Amino acid sequence: MSSSARLLKTALSLIPTHGFTRAALAESVLALPASSQHTAPLSDTAVSALFGEGDDARRTLINAWLAEGISQMGNTPRSARQLEQSSPRPSIGDILHQRLRYNEQALQYLPEAFACLATPSSAMSIMLTPLDPVPAVKHAVKIADEACYVSGDESLQLSWYARRAALAGIYTAAELHQLASPQTAHAFLDSLLASSSNLHHSVAEVGLFGGYVMKSWQGIIRSSGVF
Amino acid sequence: MFSRRALCSTRRLNILHRPYSNASKTIASSVYTNSPNTHDPAVSSTPELTPEQHQILDTALRVDQAGEVAANWIYNGQLFVLGRDPKVGPLIQDMWEQEKKHLMVMDKLQVQHRVRPTVLSEVAKVAGFALGAATALMGKEAAMACTEAVETVIGEHYDDQLKEMEALPSTHPSIPLLRDVVKEFRDDELEHLDIAVENHSQRAPAHALLSTIVGGGCKVAIEVCKRI
Repeated sequence: MSSSARLLKTALSLIPTHGFTRAALAESVLALPASSQHTAPLSDTAVSALFGEGDDARRTLINAWLAEGISQMGNTPRSARQLEQSSPRPSIGDILHQRLRYNEQALQYLPEAFACLATPSSAMSIMLTPLDPVPAVKHAVKIADEACYVSGDESLQLSWYARRAALAGIYTAAELHQLASPQTAHAFLDSLLASSSNLHHSVAEVGLFGGYVMKSWQGIIRSSGVF
Repeated sequence: MFSRRALCSTRRLNILHRPYSNASKTIASSVYTNSPNTHDPAVSSTPELTPEQHQILDTALRVDQAGEVAANWIYNGQLFVLGRDPKVGPLIQDMWEQEKKHLMVMDKLQVQHRVRPTVLSEVAKVAGFALGAATALMGKEAAMACTEAVETVIGEHYDDQLKEMEALPSTHPSIPLLRDVVKEFRDDELEHLDIAVENHSQRAPAHALLSTIVGGGCKVAIEVCKRI
């Protein structure tokens, strides 16, 4: 692991106290194991050299924190219900709850962090698009994709996209809710998942009906004696 | 005439008896088709790849899966028209059964390697069915000429892919398995090509024009599915 990657990993543990700041990156050297510990925090120049100029350093830290959140989703413990059904993987709900819990340690800094990600880094692009929606969409899609992977989802073709889009929407709504009202976020996520699964059933029924209609048409064409 | 018919029927018998011959010789895809052992890393995990290597795997599996979807629907379309034909009906059915197996394996590979499927799967289905049904309406020979053209392009495509896959690391058990599966599928597709030729694909009206159009269309579809 390169030294900047090691420092970045150490800085993640400082986020709950320092937020997503250059200070967290500068002080990461103080939190290293005793053998390689420093006595003074990194200078501003050193932080810029290792992690990027100005707010780019903060973006590096935020992205590392988000990547860590994704990798922690794989460690979701199976719920009692999952163990009862002897299912080898955690459910989608458990995984998304786990991801929301990961947010809790840095909740107060998150709105600012997302604002930082959505602000383009160069002055030119600020004039063109004052708010860049791409990072927010990528963030939600990555979480949806990881949740599908960890839960062993096997959707194919278009339902692969539908599943991820639905989960990304659900997670984004729950996360926004969490920023405003952390206590009720988990219940809100559950209600969203429940209504989404109802919707899924209705769509599947419509698909089944469509299949019957297609089959009847095939039968009608065949019996008409064209072929 | 008699000898040709005899040749065709032995050919058909060979195809029908394939499952038995396969049982004695282990084929790569059987790891996926015979209730896969989910703890085996070769069928349940994906290797750590560099972005470039992942790109190769991603495009390769996306195209293959889309191709198998289309192939299934081509045979579906042909069978819809020629299903009652006593001679080519069972032949097409047999080839379709193989394509179904290919698609099932590709679906499993897509989930295993976390590959984004193509957005155009529905387009592939409609286009495949239309191509199959249209050529079948032009006659048995034209249907076989369509199979010949498609399988030629697909066989070449799998072959090119095997060369590209040289860039992937063999350290993870799933990669050698993937190469074997692609090899097996390439050989299956080339066998379909042989069957088509044996069943007079080259007697189709305007054979050269038909195969140019169908083959060209396949090549365009491959390039499109690599990207979206």
